[in-house]
Amino acid sequence: MAFLDISAVSKSFGSVSILRDVDLSIEEGEFVVFVGPSGCGKSTLLRMISGLEEISAGTISIAGEVMNEVEPADRGAAMVFQSYALYPHMTTFENVSFGLRMAHKARDFIAGRVNEAATILQLEKLLMRKPGQLSGGQKQRVAIGRAIVREPRVFLFDEPLSNLDAELRVQMRAELTELHKRLGTTMIYVTHDQIEAMTLADKMVVMAGGLIQQAGPPLTLYDDPDNQFVAGFVGSPKMNFLAGQLVSADAGAVKLSGVGGAAEIALPIGGVGGGARAVTVGLRPEHLTIAGDDAPGELQGRVTLVEELGAESFVHLTAADGTPMIVRARRDAARAGSSVRLGIDAGRALLFERDGQRIRGSLTQQ
Amino acid sequence: MSPMRKLRRFTLWTALKWALAIAIALVAVFPIWWMINVVFAQAGEPVSLNPRLWPTSLGAGLDKITTIFAETGYLRAYGISILYALLTIAGVLLVGSLAAFEFSLFEFPGRKILFGVVLLALMVPTAVTIIPTYVLVSRLGWLNTMEGLVVPGLASAFGLFMLVQFMRAIPRDMIEAARLDGAGHFQIYWHVVLPLCRNALVTLAILTFIQTWGNYMWPLIVGTKEELYTVGQVVGLFNSPLSHHTVDTVMTANLLAAVPPLIFFLIFQRQIVQGIAMSGSKG
Repeated sequence: MAFLDISAVSKSFGSVSILRDVDLSIEEGEFVVFVGPSGCGKSTLLRMISGLEEISAGTISIAGEVMNEVEPADRGAAMVFQSYALYPHMTTFENVSFGLRMAHKARDFIAGRVNEAATILQLEKLLMRKPGQLSGGQKQRVAIGRAIVREPRVFLFDEPLSNLDAELRVQMRAELTELHKRLGTTMIYVTHDQIEAMTLADKMVVMAGGLIQQAGPPLTLYDDPDNQFVAGFVGSPKMNFLAGQLVSADAGAVKLSGVGGAAEIALPIGGVGGGARAVTVGLRPEHLTIAGDDAPGELQGRVTLVEELGAESFVHLTAADGTPMIVRARRDAARAGSSVRLGIDAGRALLFERDGQRIRGSLTQQ
Repeated sequence: MSPMRKLRRFTLWTALKWALAIAIALVAVFPIWWMINVVFAQAGEPVSLNPRLWPTSLGAGLDKITTIFAETGYLRAYGISILYALLTIAGVLLVGSLAAFEFSLFEFPGRKILFGVVLLALMVPTAVTIIPTYVLVSRLGWLNTMEGLVVPGLASAFGLFMLVQFMRAIPRDMIEAARLDGAGHFQIYWHVVLPLCRNALVTLAILTFIQTWGNYMWPLIVGTKEELYTVGQVVGLFNSPLSHHTVDTVMTANLLAAVPPLIFFLIFQRQIVQGIAMSGSKG
């Protein structure tokens, strides 16, 4: 049994179902990130682990002990809130030590723990200040300090960086990774920002519509998504999705026609059954190349916009059938208004059913 | 519009505002000033053929004050009034904040209906409830006791309403953070919610003081014995038609009753104005 086990958990508010039959195992020391669009149930799941939200059905257990009826404070979980939730009338010291004071710990013990946390988070000079006198990043550190002193078995972070500016967010992200290495404690982190998820997670859990769409290491989700939602959600710019017709399939490849309106392409995905039907081809922006005028290219597109980022450029195009696409290209690769041919890295292309399910070939390496 | 005309409009408008403000202030201050004028003067002087608008004799005023303190139960009435006000404030804050804590931050069956009842109570005029309240207090054997004076005033629907509105603004996260920190129900109330409501509590305390100090009817009804007379009642005795006091003695008694709230107002002026703005009521 895993360290933290979520088994067949459901949650509904009245007749509204938020989470349906969620199963997830988290190992001790893992950094797990729940990511998904707003309303997907990720925060609710986190709050259920913390005990702030009741579990409608199923069980959540930590270290083999079922937590459903255990008081939030007794679960060994500490939470960092998006709003920080610092007590404005208390100093940093009082904020950080609140939990220990509620547990009636000895004064020396409390001071020791708080100082230790303050050292880790570089809060030593701020201990006598109140939240109103702290910057956003400092408040965030105090909130983390409040969690650390309790020496929890699980840290829960509910979109902790979304109130910070971009630069600080990158810095805090690095600090969180550092903190995780240092403490080695299990951390569960909720965010709607897939870049945050990619950079922080050992295990990334993509959620949508109250269901876990896929869970696994970030790069696995990036390279080998289970469905079109995960494929589109993970990665920036987004994966391109082109409609097409599956014409024929054999042991080594599938042949498609009408991809993006016109192109006929073959993908090395073997062993696809089910006969001819409408499908969707998924191509990441970096798996498309802009070919020269005379070079062979499978797809055609008209360039609508070029975003120059210095090192590279994002070329926005429309395919023959009007589907928008983005190509990650070298600098000065194309000019707006021109027509270009696109080369496909066929080995990296993904195939989806029209309902979004991934079509995996039985004979390919994936 | 030329700068000149703009300036003229501005000054005219400002002058009008000032004139209005001064006029209102005069109307409000004059009675108090007149009281001081009458008390600190030889008897009859301010209203003589040659009336004076300013005090002329400090000694005469002090004499009158000494006489009143010496010959009536005024000092004891001060004590009773202050005790009445303090106990009521303490009770209203305690009961109100505990009830508001539950109403505003927690779900429980019947919460909406109960709160509706509270709001209804807010709309019922005191005159309607005063007889049932008297009967109840009388059955409890609380006539002519401090309990009888204080307890009926503790359930302040207005105070509850105000505190509930205030506590609703406390972020849910903060309560949940405290729960995760292991704080119990009462500890959340005591360590987190009460300190965050300090401004609202101060406001409620001030409004309760003003109301209690000026409350004439209830003390008159429930405390018929001299030992429980409040300042209001003692002043009432001076004012009664059959009393043989002269105008300046009555004025002295009135002034003495007005001094504590005046001092109180000067100290808490800012909070009172804030409080009235916050509660949207004149208390």
